[in-house]
Amino acid sequence: MTDAIAYARPKYIGKSIQRLEDSRLLTGRGRYAADFQVPRMAHLAFVRSDQAYARICQIETHDAKELPGVIGIFTASDFAHIPEITAPSKMLNYHPTFCPVLARDFVRYVGEPVVAILAEDRYVGEDAAALIEIEYDPRDVAVTAREASSPNAPKLHDSLGSNTIFSRQFAAGDCVKAISDAVHVVSGQFCMTRKTSVSIEPRAYMAEFEPQKDTLTLHSATNIPGIVRDEIGRLLGLSGNKFRVVTCDVGGSFGGKGSLYPEEIIVCDLALRLERSIKYVADRMEDILSSSQAFEEEVAATLAVDENGHFTALKADILGDIGAYSIYPWTAALEPVQVASFLPGPYRIPHYTATVRGICTPKPPTGPYRGVGRPMAVFALERLVDKAAFTLGLSPTELRRRNLVGTEEFPHRIGSGIIWNRSGFHECLNAAEEAVDLPSIQAEKTSRKDKWVGVGFASYAELTGIGSRIAVAPGMPMNTGAETATIRIDATGAVSAVFAMSSHGQSLETTLAQIVAEELGVLPEDVNVIQGDTSLTPHGTGTYASRSAVIGGGVAVKATRGLLVKVKRVAATLFGVSPSDIQTGDGNIFVPNTNFAINFAEIARLVYSDMSTLPQEARETLEFQATYDPIVGTTTSATHAAVVEIDPETLLIKLRRHFVAEDCGRLINPLVVNGQVHGGVAQGIGAALLEELKFDDAGQPITATLADYLVPTSAEVPDLEVAHIETELPDSPGGFRGMGEGGTIGAPAAIANAVTDALSQLGIEVNSLPITPSKLHALIAAATKQDRQE
Amino acid sequence: MKPAPFEYVRPDTLDAAVQALNHEDARIIAGGQSLVPMMNFRLVQPERLVDINRIEALTPIVQTDTGVRVGALTRHVEAEYHPLLREHFPIISEAMPYVAHLAIRNRGTIAGSLCHADPSAEWPLLAILLNGEIEILGGSGSRTVPAEEFFMAPLTTDIAETELVTGVFFPSPPASCGMAFDEVSWRAGDFAIVAAGALVYIEKNRFVNVRLVLGGVFDTPIRITALEEALVGQSANQDAIEAVLSLTTKDLEPNDDLHASAEYRLSLVHVLARRVLTCALERASS
Repeated sequence: MTDAIAYARPKYIGKSIQRLEDSRLLTGRGRYAADFQVPRMAHLAFVRSDQAYARICQIETHDAKELPGVIGIFTASDFAHIPEITAPSKMLNYHPTFCPVLARDFVRYVGEPVVAILAEDRYVGEDAAALIEIEYDPRDVAVTAREASSPNAPKLHDSLGSNTIFSRQFAAGDCVKAISDAVHVVSGQFCMTRKTSVSIEPRAYMAEFEPQKDTLTLHSATNIPGIVRDEIGRLLGLSGNKFRVVTCDVGGSFGGKGSLYPEEIIVCDLALRLERSIKYVADRMEDILSSSQAFEEEVAATLAVDENGHFTALKADILGDIGAYSIYPWTAALEPVQVASFLPGPYRIPHYTATVRGICTPKPPTGPYRGVGRPMAVFALERLVDKAAFTLGLSPTELRRRNLVGTEEFPHRIGSGIIWNRSGFHECLNAAEEAVDLPSIQAEKTSRKDKWVGVGFASYAELTGIGSRIAVAPGMPMNTGAETATIRIDATGAVSAVFAMSSHGQSLETTLAQIVAEELGVLPEDVNVIQGDTSLTPHGTGTYASRSAVIGGGVAVKATRGLLVKVKRVAATLFGVSPSDIQTGDGNIFVPNTNFAINFAEIARLVYSDMSTLPQEARETLEFQATYDPIVGTTTSATHAAVVEIDPETLLIKLRRHFVAEDCGRLINPLVVNGQVHGGVAQGIGAALLEELKFDDAGQPITATLADYLVPTSAEVPDLEVAHIETELPDSPGGFRGMGEGGTIGAPAAIANAVTDALSQLGIEVNSLPITPSKLHALIAAATKQDRQE
Repeated sequence: MKPAPFEYVRPDTLDAAVQALNHEDARIIAGGQSLVPMMNFRLVQPERLVDINRIEALTPIVQTDTGVRVGALTRHVEAEYHPLLREHFPIISEAMPYVAHLAIRNRGTIAGSLCHADPSAEWPLLAILLNGEIEILGGSGSRTVPAEEFFMAPLTTDIAETELVTGVFFPSPPASCGMAFDEVSWRAGDFAIVAAGALVYIEKNRFVNVRLVLGGVFDTPIRITALEEALVGQSANQDAIEAVLSLTTKDLEPNDDLHASAEYRLSLVHVLARRVLTCALERASS
């Protein structure tokens, strides 16, 4: 039985089952790290750097120490026993950074923790913080990657030769010749600005010290509990029998909770030293200033096209602004290198060359952010594709159609080495083209004077559920390709499914329960999905990189099938039939067309409690553990289409429609898939039209609150339209592909293309995101001025 | 993001409130929608908070012979839906949805917004446009200040630390008066990039009185008197508006900030001035 046809008549997989976690989360009964209250719990507050780059001359803590309610004040020297956080990589030309848990000698971004204050409550902690005086000797700064990449720029890390902490080349074919031979060449300079995640729940950690057993539990708002356990364990010399990480409910991450942070190491270390539980909850400003940021890249790219409109070559130079430190575990190479890896997109482009550099700047470290590099890659490439279509006088969809990898051409290796397997490249494009109805928009464009109307497309492919052959981040010496799960039936007949990874909003409690229920023959609500507790599983890393449907879903299939074999074997012994005669469904185990039937509670009793019905050797433990590693991964694809209208007077940009056709293989739960696409597109709308972390010339963040860092609200997000294209299913258990990030990957490019289309009569191109009315005004003024000069 | 320690008092009467304010660094809290975030950022650290929410004398909205008096504690949402205000000053309910978000409008008060004096806020603009009079009570008695003289600089008004605003009086406009409000902000509920309000009074098809007030452009809302004066006496039609529109932006140097360039703001001033004047004229004519 291949998985492509495994669920010929599924009961639960593919059904829009209401989320099992909703009743808890929507009625305020969720339990987040900040909710934990235990006796003698102390609270941590931080004094953070208000300088972008400076030497720490002196820290005056005397008055703060005297404040009633203050338990202790700690600086870098109090944590000298903890090694610096450093992210290793086997990548050539990579230079790791060394980040102490509290700034030592130097601060390298505004928001870097310098002093930790332990107090009876957070109010006292912040009162004490106000009494601490830090004397800094500011250093010269190079705030942008461009400035910092210059040989004369002030170096952020004295130990490094320059601010360039990694560089890498990609080359396939002869790009130089292909470009010089090309009939048409289009180029552009594209940039995206810094983003922060803005989860509803800021980062939060509670280290619970249990004196009875001298053990430590870190309740962490993280999406990588396994990685956090392993690395804090290494840094503090703790093994799994003394230290566990539990994620409880996590209110979103979007990548911002997907790295190791100094604060979670400090709560653990102080909890052990003081033998009391310690909580730290970031406030919104701390979360914006110190959670990993992303997307700040410049891409100069050139696309060559032959006389038939076929792409022949792509060349790119990518400059990544990675911030002050290379983040653990992903390294600073994660995002910029991913831009280069995915830049050729879903197209046939025989010749490809790219250079990537990551530059240290005195800004918060960058890290994973929904989409990781691909929003920038897709934005740059899809803008070039539209430029080429314009140059060739072809419709944007026709040019894409001519170049998308054809259905018969899979597997297809792109210039960066990534291999695409069969996915609905053409099917998604066709669906988007049909949904948008280009002729009617064209007619509206010419007839309407009160609005500038434009339409834009973006096609892309992504690798999801990446197995152990490829590191999620370049050269990262860590296996992120496998997950382990245990499925068990206890003595009451209840089914538990234990996973190492955890949900921070992906609805895994529901979707994994659907898979287990489908495979085992029970009801989804009867499956207790247990996740995110490192003490319950030998190994696992977490939920990121659109992996949990593929790898978590895959291991759920594999482990449940193993358990089902046992169940059938027991039932076969009981009924005196062959295991192959046994079927299960709706909580029953039966032989069709007979009266041989028993439910899961009864079989559990027979196995565990009843000593007379079954022979001893047939009473096997109803539990199965499996590990799944997809080795490579699955190819997810989509085409987005955006329709915008711009008020010619106010220049306000309204996203009128946003349509997504995507192929994520078999849908486990359409409600959940839609929710992920909607959320991802909302984030992409933010990247396209609103969100921008800004820093002044001194490196001071000037968008440190949600009044200045603007995220889309429901008023800015139109009703989103999603079409699910199911082509040939991937060769993974269940036939699932990952789809958690796609919304964010496609939306910025589609919206940029739509705004450019709306402004085509002015000859204005949107090559920098976000595009705002004020920026549009400047672009139009510049274009008008140029017109007058010509 | 926790406030510094403060003392909290909650008087029940105006006299008690005035007494409570006679204290080192006392601040009034009503809706708290601007003050509390500022306290949490420790941008302000009052020694004492005087909570006026229990003072009943500050709540009524009443009609007088010459206009409508709105109590200081009136919440934005009450102003939006109040029948007296809807009847006499429909521009208020037109403008209220632009005041932040519903949850904030449920708590925030008219006097709080006036006293906070954010340059882009709607109430200061409306108060000037509608010729409002701010009623102020202090230890030495009460006084009234025309709205136009009340706002002095961003977050700065003509009110002493020991005084409180008790209400705003809006004089009734003539019957053939049209008013309109419009605003551009990046997202629904954001601070205005530019806001504009117009009041147009016509008689025998001529402009008798015109007021145009802009918010978000300068340190306080500003009246464009040059345009107002130029329109008075002209035939009440769109051409007349177009002819004077350039006066709107003449000598105007809008703020240039994080969110919008001065040039863009200037272009918006032009657009919004035309829109509100045109709309107010239509309403005055119908």
